[in-house]
Amino acid sequence: MRRHLVARLWQSLIVVVLVTTISFVIIRLAPGDPFSYDAGNLRPEIRDHWREQFGYNQPVPVQFVHYVTSVLRGQFGYSFAMHESVSKALAEAVPRTLLLGGVALGLSFLFGVVVGVLQAVGRGGWFDRISTSTLVVLYSLPDFWGALLILLIFAYWWPILPAGNIVDSTLHDYLSGWGRIADRLKHLVLPVSALTLLTTAGVARFQRAAMLDVLPADYIRTARAKGLTEREVIWKHALRTALTPMVTLLGLALPGLLGGTLFIESVFSWPGMGQLAAAAISRRDYDLVTAVVVVGSVIVVIGNLIADVLHMAIDPRVRE
Amino acid sequence: MNSARPLPDSSKTLFQRLRAHRSARWALVVIALLVVAAIFGPMIMGSTGIEQLDIVGLKSAPPSWKYPFGTDQFSRNLLARVLAGARVSLAVATLAVLTSVTIGTGFGLVSGYVGGRADAAMMRLLDAFLSIPRVLLLIAVLSLWSPVRLPGLILLLGVTGWFGLSRLVRAETIAARRLDYVEAARALGVPDWRIMWRHLLPNVATPVIVSATLAVGNVIALEAGLAYLGIGARDPTPSWGAIFQNAIPYVAAGSWWMLLFPGLAIVITVLAFNVLGDALRDILDPRQLHGSTSAPPSVSILSGMETLKNG
Amino acid sequence: MRKSFFLVAAFSAFAACSSKEGSQSAAGATGGTLIFASSSDADAIFPPFVTDITGRMLEDQIFDRLAEIGPDLRTVGDQGFSPRLAQKWVWAPDSLSIAFSIDPRARWHDGKPVTAADVRYSFKTYVDPKVGSPVAPTLTNLDSVSVRDSLTAVAWFKKRTPEQFYDVAYQVVIFPEHVYGNIPPEQLHTSDATRKLVGSGRFRFVKWDAGSRIEIVSDTANFRGRAKLDRVIVVKTDPATEKAQLLSGQADFMEAFPPDQIAKLDSNAFARALAFPQLGYTFMAMNVFTPKSKTVPHPIFSDIRVRRALSMSVDRVAMLRNVFGERGRLAHGPFPMTLGVADSTIHPAGYDTTAAKAMLDSSGWRVGPNGMRAKNGRPLRFTLISATSSITRGLYGVLLQEQFRKIGAQVDFDNLDPQAYLPRMFAGDFDAILGSYGTDPSVTGTKQNWGTAGIGGQNFFRYSNHTVDALLDSATSAFDPAKMKTYSSRAFQTIIDDIPAIWLYDLLVVNAVNRRFDTAPTRADGWWANLADWSVAPNKRIDRDRIGLAQPKP
Repeated sequence: MRRHLVARLWQSLIVVVLVTTISFVIIRLAPGDPFSYDAGNLRPEIRDHWREQFGYNQPVPVQFVHYVTSVLRGQFGYSFAMHESVSKALAEAVPRTLLLGGVALGLSFLFGVVVGVLQAVGRGGWFDRISTSTLVVLYSLPDFWGALLILLIFAYWWPILPAGNIVDSTLHDYLSGWGRIADRLKHLVLPVSALTLLTTAGVARFQRAAMLDVLPADYIRTARAKGLTEREVIWKHALRTALTPMVTLLGLALPGLLGGTLFIESVFSWPGMGQLAAAAISRRDYDLVTAVVVVGSVIVVIGNLIADVLHMAIDPRVRE
Repeated sequence: MNSARPLPDSSKTLFQRLRAHRSARWALVVIALLVVAAIFGPMIMGSTGIEQLDIVGLKSAPPSWKYPFGTDQFSRNLLARVLAGARVSLAVATLAVLTSVTIGTGFGLVSGYVGGRADAAMMRLLDAFLSIPRVLLLIAVLSLWSPVRLPGLILLLGVTGWFGLSRLVRAETIAARRLDYVEAARALGVPDWRIMWRHLLPNVATPVIVSATLAVGNVIALEAGLAYLGIGARDPTPSWGAIFQNAIPYVAAGSWWMLLFPGLAIVITVLAFNVLGDALRDILDPRQLHGSTSAPPSVSILSGMETLKNG
Repeated sequence: MRKSFFLVAAFSAFAACSSKEGSQSAAGATGGTLIFASSSDADAIFPPFVTDITGRMLEDQIFDRLAEIGPDLRTVGDQGFSPRLAQKWVWAPDSLSIAFSIDPRARWHDGKPVTAADVRYSFKTYVDPKVGSPVAPTLTNLDSVSVRDSLTAVAWFKKRTPEQFYDVAYQVVIFPEHVYGNIPPEQLHTSDATRKLVGSGRFRFVKWDAGSRIEIVSDTANFRGRAKLDRVIVVKTDPATEKAQLLSGQADFMEAFPPDQIAKLDSNAFARALAFPQLGYTFMAMNVFTPKSKTVPHPIFSDIRVRRALSMSVDRVAMLRNVFGERGRLAHGPFPMTLGVADSTIHPAGYDTTAAKAMLDSSGWRVGPNGMRAKNGRPLRFTLISATSSITRGLYGVLLQEQFRKIGAQVDFDNLDPQAYLPRMFAGDFDAILGSYGTDPSVTGTKQNWGTAGIGGQNFFRYSNHTVDALLDSATSAFDPAKMKTYSSRAFQTIIDDIPAIWLYDLLVVNAVNRRFDTAPTRADGWWANLADWSVAPNKRIDRDRIGLAQPKP
């Protein structure tokens, strides 16, 4: 098992190196640079001066060497959109995205698993039929569409929750300690609900299928024959086996979840990685764009590693 | 490469089984209607919705008998625009998925068939691609290289959409490679490409067809999402996503119709393709129906995974 | 729910009046918090690097100029200018130097006095090539700044010009040497110190969270009197939600309310309109050269008959009504009506599609079987580019496209990301372009935009007419305002006769402000000119107006 783990770590490292190279090259080859932004009074010679000062006038391979050496020294460059070092900008935005995505992921697995199991157990019954069609509809709602609907309903037509941002951007600094916590929670509700709702649908679909795979198995029949209650059979024996594929789903779902988070962030002006990426892209802030893409990939890679380890822990066959 | 090769059993039975499947029937009808509307709608209307009827008098007119979907802020007929948008949205999604399926099947077949170091290298590359969040990559490339025209958009959506499928095809290929008749063909010295084409491809067709169907819906949603962010097809012949995005500033002003109709078109279409994909999986993949305790996670479950939203 | 909120508000108003501890600012003539929902963050906030409107607004609150321009924005000599950081100024007899006496009461926000050395340092920084300030090119006539004594700075000029005073007084703000002077010039751009501002203006800088929020508060010890408001917070807001926030009272101010929805403000309980005519105009320019080329004539636009026909084929009035409702202002020509030398008697050719079609027919562009025109097998088809940063221009692009289609010209409209638009604009890589000029108050700006001298810079479509050059030269060197106006008018008319562009609209920005604010007069170069004199009457104050001047708890 340890050898497998070490091998997986190496693979992950290679993946990260590949991703960094690919994204750096794609981004630097694009037309423009951080100094080609729209400002009427900025003369070409001044733009050129800045380009030279920050090394953007050099050929891409040279820039890449510079980039790699500075990354190895722990420096990810300077962000012209955020006016601070790239690491500082990331240190603020990434935890916000992880908070949003993490809470939503946890909730949607919880809800998804429960709904999926209930559907599989009562297969063909009224709950299965109604919830299956509801979930297909939810699953088919594009993320931005669903989020926009929630925003319109709960922030405009029936305005009970704030429309966006992570805190009340005007007065948060002047609130008391508890007031600030309440403020944060209030701003978390809508984006988390939107993301949870949209992700739960996918999880439940797979949980239902996984459960249906397991239920007819011999050992379930044996468990029933042994006189265990139906509740024990379903929620202990069957679910344990049916959760194994869900762990893999957890790993595979991450890129999608991250993608969904970008849309949710855009709709709810949530100042996480997606908004950072948008700001960076619109300012042609190349160091920051590269860093956001790489960090996004690293999150996915780490998520897959965790899923792998969990998988090994649950499924004895992989341990060999 | 023709990736939509008929299955071992004739496609006629497949169609009959689809017709017998209740939700599949519904989805097929909707998709057929959409395709008909996309092809003939603009002809019947005699317009692709670019005409500005009266920029002062008919600006943002609510739905009426004459203009059932209302007009937009340029006094364009929204019904005509949604019909013309169906062309763009469906064509973009179909072509992009065709691109993905072609690349993904080819890559997976070769990787799984060749095996060894080449396979390992190809898989690492695939891991790298899979770990870059697709939406982030698309947003970056599309906006940094703007304006990207429709062929470019289709190509990009296609080129970033095959990674999951490829993994699946590889797994199926490895399984199929061990089949007796494939081993026999190799022993007889049949050329590799012929083995892949004649013997392996039919074996991977099932997950490919299911994935492709789900992917069409997925790409329509994705393209709409990109358009929502202001990236994608542009005036005067927009996709549904672009019509939707164009409407957002006017919703707060009360022009709900501008958002509702393109929005419904998107949801109904994505829904139809998802339902059809599910039905195809039910029909084509008997393992899931009869249940088996063989090696979870079973392919039947995983086959939909790469189509988990925006994947 | 609303009712209980109202009670709480009423109660706390009482509390503020009766309690002795209640901070003076909450109940007195001063106080109030203005939430400015801005669709863009500042690109940079340190004065030599400021390029955008949000940065300008901030700069004008936190820093001072030597002298302040008058409300009519006269740029010749020092007429109309009033003392600001300089208490008075004395011209040398040969007009080649001006001695500015710094107001002895002026203090930086950290308490240190403002000195002549700060003035010298500021100018040195602006023109230092290692700094690369975008303001530097406007200071080419400045030779140097010397310190006569601690409160007297002397600006030396290379030659005498009508606008030499304006150059040094209006274009530049003064910032403290003791705060920024020890940073090497090439590091000013990325230094953390330049993210925090220390100035001498009536507002003090509190905090800049790049990409989301800027906060400034009243400088209570200011020599010109404290700002009447306690606090201004600029919050970067998604353009889609800005308007809703204003209409629901969550935000207090926004720039550029969507022009066709301004009528909503008349009946809104929270916000009202604050019209603000700007120094700018928008037009569609037609490149007379083949894209990217500087010499090869454009296959379509080099023919003035085609340019005239196209100009007559668009209904400028209908487009104006579609985009701006009833409140738009039609452009007259290459100048905004807010410019001092503007001439309302000048008009471009009127809307006449019949004449336009006939003109195209006679110039050889005939209608083909598909309804589109062609000449010698070449279709009448061109690309129009615009930048997504301007919503209004984006709307006009779609409107123009359709109007040209109706007379048989096919237009590909590319609404580009600014980063893609700008390089193409400067390289002349376009057939037609939707451009907007925000001019400075002086006719010198016109020279940069429409004169031969501006080619390679602001005159990005390479318009060149030597009669225009000569007339503009005469206008800018005239010391008599009436003469200046005559020459300018003749130059404008000559430009219009050449039809280098279709004149669309004057920039009229309607801002929205919450009704509880008493605003001070705006000025055409910035609505914020007198922001420090905006106020909220005590009986109209709401919760956030009563925070006082306390610093946020960490």
